[in-house]
Amino acid sequence: MKLETLKADLVERLGLEEAIKLAGKKTVPVHKHTFWYFWGGISLFSFLIQVVTGILLMVYYRPGPEAYESVRQITYQIQFGWLIRSVHNWSANFFLFSVFVHMFSVFLMKAYRRPREVGWYSGIALLLLGLTFGFSGYLLPMDELSFFATKVGMEIPNAIPIIGPPIANLLRGGLEVNEFTVQRFFALHVVILPLLYMPLLGLHLWMVQKHGNAAPPSEEAKEPSQRKTMPFFPNFVAQDLGVWLIVLNLISLLAALFPWQLGPQADPLAAAPEGIHPEWYFMSQFAMLKLIGRVIPGLAGEAAAMTLFTLGLVLWAMIPVFDKDKTNTKRSRQVLYFGIFVILVLLSTTFMGFVI
Amino acid sequence: MKDEQEMVLTDPSSPSSPEDVSRRKFLQTGVFGACAIYIGAIGYPVFRYLNSPVEASQLASAVKEVTLDKANELAVGTAFMFKFGTSPALLIHHADGSWVAMSAVCTHMGCTVKFDEGAKKITCACHGGVFDAATGENISGPPPRPLERYDVKVNDASVVVTKIS
Amino acid sequence: MNYPVWDVPGVGGPWVIGIISIFHVLIAWFAVGGGIYLPYAERKLYREGREEWLPVLKKHSRMFLVLTGVFGAVSGVGIWFAIGLVQPEATSTLIHNFVFGWAIEWVFFVIELAAAAVYYYTWDRIPRELHLKVGWLYAISSFLTLVIINGILSFMMTPSQAWLNVAGTGTEASQFWAAFFNPTYFPSLFMRTLACLSLAGIYALITYGRVTDEALQATRTVMVRWSAKWLIPMALLLPVGLGWMYVTMEPESREIMSLGFSTIGSGLFTQVTRISMMTVLTTVTVAGAVYFFAFLFPRDLTAGHAFALLGLAAIATSSTEYARETIRKPYVIQEHMYSNSIRMNEVEKYNTEGYLVNSKWNPPQMEPVAKGEAMFRGQCMSCHTRSGYRSMERLLQKRDRKAIDQLLQTLHDFEPDSPYRKYMPPLVGTQDERDSLAVYLEKLSLGKTEPALALNAAR
Repeated sequence: MKLETLKADLVERLGLEEAIKLAGKKTVPVHKHTFWYFWGGISLFSFLIQVVTGILLMVYYRPGPEAYESVRQITYQIQFGWLIRSVHNWSANFFLFSVFVHMFSVFLMKAYRRPREVGWYSGIALLLLGLTFGFSGYLLPMDELSFFATKVGMEIPNAIPIIGPPIANLLRGGLEVNEFTVQRFFALHVVILPLLYMPLLGLHLWMVQKHGNAAPPSEEAKEPSQRKTMPFFPNFVAQDLGVWLIVLNLISLLAALFPWQLGPQADPLAAAPEGIHPEWYFMSQFAMLKLIGRVIPGLAGEAAAMTLFTLGLVLWAMIPVFDKDKTNTKRSRQVLYFGIFVILVLLSTTFMGFVI
Repeated sequence: MKDEQEMVLTDPSSPSSPEDVSRRKFLQTGVFGACAIYIGAIGYPVFRYLNSPVEASQLASAVKEVTLDKANELAVGTAFMFKFGTSPALLIHHADGSWVAMSAVCTHMGCTVKFDEGAKKITCACHGGVFDAATGENISGPPPRPLERYDVKVNDASVVVTKIS
Repeated sequence: MNYPVWDVPGVGGPWVIGIISIFHVLIAWFAVGGGIYLPYAERKLYREGREEWLPVLKKHSRMFLVLTGVFGAVSGVGIWFAIGLVQPEATSTLIHNFVFGWAIEWVFFVIELAAAAVYYYTWDRIPRELHLKVGWLYAISSFLTLVIINGILSFMMTPSQAWLNVAGTGTEASQFWAAFFNPTYFPSLFMRTLACLSLAGIYALITYGRVTDEALQATRTVMVRWSAKWLIPMALLLPVGLGWMYVTMEPESREIMSLGFSTIGSGLFTQVTRISMMTVLTTVTVAGAVYFFAFLFPRDLTAGHAFALLGLAAIATSSTEYARETIRKPYVIQEHMYSNSIRMNEVEKYNTEGYLVNSKWNPPQMEPVAKGEAMFRGQCMSCHTRSGYRSMERLLQKRDRKAIDQLLQTLHDFEPDSPYRKYMPPLVGTQDERDSLAVYLEKLSLGKTEPALALNAAR
């Protein structure tokens, strides 16, 4: 059979005309902030790398008491295991970084306004799931660093008043991080989270296709004849592919230059190494917990910090309810100031977390 | 010039002249070539990764026993390096007359270890790991596990080293 | 050691050279490739009557003049400063050998600079034919600077047997031509020329990405496609160039490359192999990204895309340079001078007479720790730092005095099967000097030394 007829047949059987039509109709605004439109695609691409390398790692990883030994084998014995593992780690960090950039650019371009609210809500949920991916995955090698980082990281759920400690214990499968913790974190990391993540991601991507990219207010203010666009398919897709190539290249560069190391095996009885801290994406909460703990010591401080996080998160998620319309009102300016304030707080506390 | 202008205005996927067709062919070849390099660069490590246990078991099944001719004449208190399959191994004739054979691949990062006659220890120059020369036990430094021990049989003409299954 | 040691905390001295050189190379290669690009495009303009190209080419030649004439020239001098401070001994050897080479390069460089200025300022002011001739004069003279510096750079990789035979006799300059046209001369020139042409295309995309004038869009589209094609030679001939390099390299260098391939699984001493793989991967990515960003839909190309391409080119360039530097280890001039400025034929003398007594700039009487620090500065600091890049504090972690002694003994013995031999020079000096170094390193591994404090106290 000729390739062309096969293609035509496939399009017909799968009903792809609809999709092609939709993709053909969609355009991407062209202006000086177009660069930020790439970050959603970058997040998606690094997530795909995660899926592929994650499946490959599962071939050799053994959760439970043998977790450390299996990661040691992957890193030092299995051919190119170091590469797969390093790429998985680096693209995990890159994934969360690009998700953050994507979220803040969406926020600053006010792309959460009607009719794109569902995109924003699903995006926030995807971010939280992504952070949980990161937290659960970090423990899996069970080396000294991941053991103690998880131990400290557990202080965050532990700080929720009354229900916090039972939740933390349930997550850990014990009073301390142990082999049961690895087992359940593994189940969380490779089964539960993907099950939740995939449909949400589908919804999120569908929303982007449906409503298209939002132009920032500065662009909206222009006359329609002054605005420039490019077709999503094939022009923007070609550029997306170019960016993906670059991202792949950067991740392999990082993996080649700085292969992820494996520390000594976790020893629950050993003293924590100095300067132990969670990964950078939890640094802000960790630092705030510490700072507030200095002002209000004890349980009250932890409760205060947790209330602050929850309140901030809820406020952040509810932005589309407050700032709905395209008009540039006082409200929308207030939201902008709030967003800048949040970014500054996150950046400064993250920085402080590494210093204090 | 007219030609080029047209190429811009029309869809690049619909060639207008024979010259364009050959150009497109050439470009397509280039793109396929780049794709092939990428697929190779990604596929090769993935294949080796998945194939690793196969390679390991092939190596293990290839050599189970090595006969070292005249090794029985090894002086007391000295050691002898030999190849067990593809990896280096050590045969030591201890001062107390006992014979020991073990893998010479450091369990830390795979450097080749050395028998230190003076200190009666096995040492690894790469990261300072030290093993017991009689048992292969890891004594100090970063190695996580002891060296792999082999069975030794000494006869009149040779020493036979066998893998412990 | 005839010179004092320049102590650069954090990144270490070599990276000072590295950073300046990578910056310089990205511009200098543009100076060569762009020098061919401009008159070639101008010739096409005249022959095919593409008058609409003129304003765009003028714009490009302005960026060209500013970048090469200012940043290229200044960073080139910067390299001189840096190598003179970090590797004085090797720099001195190069000058003794190639002083006339450099003099000739300087002549071409002056012609190049003058021609670039004339070229930019005489658009439309002198007859077109003459203007084009100025362009070709520029192209030839700038290519000749590459022809010359390439001889000196490749000399350090493969100094040629003829030169090595007379090295240290005082008549080294008699083998000037053998040293200049050394075994890796032509493959290096080939690779560098390919890189120059690719960069010419990428820099042209930067200029065209910044053309926003609506009236020029159709022209821009044509020119973007045309410039993208300047990367084709590199994309096609890269494997040829790499293969050619590989067969002409010193056997030891080749061994380092293949060592990386065979032990890549254990992640040991494999940087150079990993980095060389990055060179290939990044070059293919550049080609792919040019295809997606520029060739497929030239209208959508922006300056941002072009800068991303330049960034990738910078990664490819730095990976290649890093690989080249690593392959040369443990030498700075292959088979003649080790990375720490010790000549191969001086090793015996230092081992018997002592390293420190033969080094100027050290006080005659020193405490063991100060002695150890002087040894460290002289023999280790050309590659390692105390707590920054290739930090000894980190590398010696958890090693007690015994392990350090053993390591130093391995480095001193320099046995053919030593795992360090392929990367590190032998440790020279008397037993007493090496013991002092061990004392100092032990303190370092425990984090107990204040930088340079011990040495100052001794003065």
